[in-house]
Amino acid sequence: MTEYYGSKLEDIFNSMEDRFRPEGAEGVDAIFCYDIAGEDGGKWQVSVKDKELRVEKVEGNLKGCSVTIITDPETFIGVTLGKIDAGEAFSSGKIKVDGDIGLLTNILPKLFTKYTPPAKDVTSKDIIDTVVERFRADKAEGIDIVIGYDITGEGGGKWSVIVKDGYCSVKEGLDPNCTVTMQMDAKVFVGLNLGLIDGTAAFTSGKVKIEGDMGAAALSAGMFERFKVGVIEGAEELISLKCLPSIDQRFATGPVMGKWFDGLKEKKFYATKCPVCGRTQIPPREICALCRVRCTDFVELGPKGTVTLIDDVYYASPDPLTGEVRETPYAGVYIVLDGASEEEAFAHEIKKEDIDRIKPGMRVRPVWAEKRVGSYKDLLYFEIDE
Amino acid sequence: MANKKKNRNVAIIGIGQTEYSSHKEHQNQAEMVNEAVRRALDDARITMDDVDCVMHGNMELFEMVYQPDLWHEIGTGAYGKEEIRITTGGTTGASLVCAADNLVASGMYDVILAVGLEKLQEGHTTGGITNMADPLWFRHLQTGALTGTTAQEMIEEFGEDRAKRAAMKYRIMMDKHACLNPRAHRRFGLEYDQMDDLMNTSPKLVGELRLIHMCSQSDGACVMVFASEEKAKKLCKHHPPVWIRDHITVHREETLPNLFGFKKPEMTQRYAARKLFERNGIKDPVEYFDVFEMYDPSAWWGLDWLREFLLLKGDEHIKMLEEGEFDLDGKLPVNPSGGVTATNPIGATAMLRPAEAALQIRGDAGEHQLERNVRHALASGFGGTFWTVLIMLEKDLNW
Amino acid sequence: MKRVAICAVAQHKNESDIWYKRFQGMLLDILEEIQTKTGMDFSEQRGVRSVVSCSDDVFDARTISDNGVTDVLGAHYREEEKIAQEGLNAVGYAMSIILSGHEDLVYLAGHCKESQPESRNMCTNLGYDPFYGRPIGLDFTNVAALQAREYMHKSGIGDEHLADVVVRARQWASRNPYANATELVEKGEVMASPMLCDPIRRLHAYPVSDGAVGMLLASEERAREFTDTPVWITGFANCMDSYFLGDRDLSSNFALKKAAANAFRRAGIKDPKKAIDLVEIMDAYAYQQPMWLEGLGLCDEGQGARFIEENGPATYNVNLSGGMLAGNPIMLGGLYRAAEAVLQLKREAGEHQAADVKRALAHGTTGGAGQFHTVLVLEI
Repeated sequence: MTEYYGSKLEDIFNSMEDRFRPEGAEGVDAIFCYDIAGEDGGKWQVSVKDKELRVEKVEGNLKGCSVTIITDPETFIGVTLGKIDAGEAFSSGKIKVDGDIGLLTNILPKLFTKYTPPAKDVTSKDIIDTVVERFRADKAEGIDIVIGYDITGEGGGKWSVIVKDGYCSVKEGLDPNCTVTMQMDAKVFVGLNLGLIDGTAAFTSGKVKIEGDMGAAALSAGMFERFKVGVIEGAEELISLKCLPSIDQRFATGPVMGKWFDGLKEKKFYATKCPVCGRTQIPPREICALCRVRCTDFVELGPKGTVTLIDDVYYASPDPLTGEVRETPYAGVYIVLDGASEEEAFAHEIKKEDIDRIKPGMRVRPVWAEKRVGSYKDLLYFEIDE
Repeated sequence: MANKKKNRNVAIIGIGQTEYSSHKEHQNQAEMVNEAVRRALDDARITMDDVDCVMHGNMELFEMVYQPDLWHEIGTGAYGKEEIRITTGGTTGASLVCAADNLVASGMYDVILAVGLEKLQEGHTTGGITNMADPLWFRHLQTGALTGTTAQEMIEEFGEDRAKRAAMKYRIMMDKHACLNPRAHRRFGLEYDQMDDLMNTSPKLVGELRLIHMCSQSDGACVMVFASEEKAKKLCKHHPPVWIRDHITVHREETLPNLFGFKKPEMTQRYAARKLFERNGIKDPVEYFDVFEMYDPSAWWGLDWLREFLLLKGDEHIKMLEEGEFDLDGKLPVNPSGGVTATNPIGATAMLRPAEAALQIRGDAGEHQLERNVRHALASGFGGTFWTVLIMLEKDLNW
Repeated sequence: MKRVAICAVAQHKNESDIWYKRFQGMLLDILEEIQTKTGMDFSEQRGVRSVVSCSDDVFDARTISDNGVTDVLGAHYREEEKIAQEGLNAVGYAMSIILSGHEDLVYLAGHCKESQPESRNMCTNLGYDPFYGRPIGLDFTNVAALQAREYMHKSGIGDEHLADVVVRARQWASRNPYANATELVEKGEVMASPMLCDPIRRLHAYPVSDGAVGMLLASEERAREFTDTPVWITGFANCMDSYFLGDRDLSSNFALKKAAANAFRRAGIKDPKKAIDLVEIMDAYAYQQPMWLEGLGLCDEGQGARFIEENGPATYNVNLSGGMLAGNPIMLGGLYRAAEAVLQLKREAGEHQAADVKRALAHGTTGGAGQFHTVLVLEI
């Protein structure tokens, strides 16, 4: 299998089990299918049900997919690692999606922790070699301990870290005076130091064995800065701030929009009528922009009307303050209400059940909220008038 | 509208752009602005000491900064200078160019540096655009600048297959242009043989407006330096000045649905073009102009508006597209820069149009430079509820 | 250079909460008033083809705040450009459209409703960078307090002087039909009013205000078609100071001095004390009246206290409208000043009319503690 950005497809799928977050899978019942084209591609099926995960490589056809992601290995790995912008890959057709797209945007990100490429370049020795420079003298005041590391398996070794009088040194082999000795596999040691493995879990599950003073083991964690691959590469972490500025508003309606909202209470559409050209405006305006003359006459329009154009919306914008997103698809319709000037359409939504049938030229009628208070919520939607 | 002779001629003498991308975490807003300012000053071979007045424009609610010119001062170089801030929505960048033309021609200032910018990553763009709707009524219905009505109308007029193909051809053509522009944000490398595939598989946003048709959300800044004729002739030693011949702005009322009734009003695009060409004695814009940098927020709108801007009839614009007349070697190349579907830092987007057009006239556009001798250029801005700005640029003082 | 005239002005009465009207309705009142006064129309041949507006997206809570008002600006199928800074700058820009030769008439109108957002300080807090300025809570009021402290120390101004400024402002405001805070106050009342942001007391600060202003500008050739008493713009300039408060000498008036010098040079003024008959200052806070007057050179440097004690404000006809202290929305503080100066020059100021005014100055400022200043010189 070809590597892209230092990872193979297998690395990503094989690590899914470790990265799975059952708490994010509450109530999820879906099958995510991956159809990754090309010689070095493959097909995978990731099923999530009742907080259980199953990842399988599939030969032949993918079946029962809730959503299928169709792409190539380079794009898939690039997007997974954040090297390729997902939105752009999606826009340009490098990633195609079949099925329930909402599962990808809303559910998938909650199911797994972020994938990081295998830390094959980092060895136990790399970590031990940086111990002295990562040592924080300010946290080690008055501490006098020797920590033994017994790292087994490939790339393993034995080291002792000596902390005394605010100084730190390392020597090969296990010192006979070790305050505490920690034994673990090299993979676990690297994983712990890279933050890929949770320390408590590793200890609880027996992956790390501790002999001697347990308190000293806990103490040792605070005396060193975290090992970072980035430090080796010389990269710096950039900070970005997240905040949601929001200022409550109180909008005046004035006599013109006030009349409009009053009308909604009574299930009536009030439009202004221009005293010069006769144009009706809905919702009403203070002025006729064409004649530049104040409008004070109101006329009642509709309530039925004729559809001119339809906008089937598959992408709803989230409310920038609440983050709420409307359910899609929905359809906006442009309607010339009975009695309106022919250029003056009114825009609103059509009933969900009518989306598939609605066509320009059709007659529609408004559907009102049962309790109307003079707000935009009074008018629910329009429906086909049959 | 009557056109009076300008008090004095105004030239574009410097242009600076950042690279455009969806992410600019390595810079804050003021730093991003500063990068473009330095490049524009270098391009004009001047320093801030030569600048009399700084102009600034972007949309406050996209980044949620109140009067951001106050903070950005540390990047724009406005300290101790005069400053004018103008914002008009999507047209902002073009409005800044028109205003700079006015301010220099008036004799009030000799050299102006104008900054258009947006850092869309720092807010929610579609949400920000939706905020333009009246909070009392339309805000609960609008979805940013996304609408499928133009696609629907074009399908009705030209047939489904022809209309969809034309829109996709336009989109792929823009991508091909963008691929030649190293600053462009989105460069996909699309090929014409992907047309059928993209027409059916690119995710739908609204009706037949698909994700691939729509403009990007970009971070970036564009800066232009303007000078009076006298100053321009003194300062422009390294490249020729580009002259602003005329400009026109046409806004329309807030209400949008009244564009979609049984009778359609004349589009501001056609109205503006008609008035501008009339008063400048241009009978055939396709013949006259050597390049058109158009604010095309989507492939459908771009294609539709070509008919309006170029005062074409029926399917003339579609035919021209099909016959390659808008390609780089066509009769009237459109958006050699890749246009707005490739790059869209909103407060800068409408400034990029005359900036890129001016680079074409100078012959400095780089890889996307047209091979012909570009003498007459047209640039457009779009914003608000179908507002239009048109700017005419010339290589020579020929009017 | 040719001259540009302001033919007519219209002001909406400033109120703390115009809850009964949308800003569209306020602007329509203004449009109708200007049309009635001048007979201007929007015909393509001889009418207004260019409109300059002034408003702010954050205060309006609308992206593209001018979009909601295109129709009530008369700008449908016309040119319209929005100045997104304090409205006095819109006058300068509108003048350039005419001087450039592009147009010979410009209609200018601005609006702002400070009552709409929950708090105007929350709006101006957004004027600071999100990394440092916002989290420590900077807004235009508390930044002004920092400046007030420094300036008061420099010029010897105390609480009593500030009370004098407010008492006088209210006396004049009570004669101005467009002013918001018109109730007379006693010196003791001012000095007992609660601290808003030490040393700024509640009565030292302009009240929350809603308002709108309109103007018709015309070329020298056409001004008299619309008025018998054109007022000429003879000087305009503005200037930006640095953003970081730590970079600034807060009591130095750096930006105002530079803006004033440029405006005076353009207007051919050598000694402002002799040349200016009337001044309208954007004094959002009481300390700013003497401080900005120092910046303009009408009060000697560091002599603010003596200036007030010796009745300097009366000598120079300062803020006969009541000034910003009587309440204007922040986006229009300077534009209202210009409108009042025009009324004075046209001898239409009614009960607060000054005698023998031939040259007046209007001032506006934007940004915390006067980061940006604008100066306009008007003459008959």
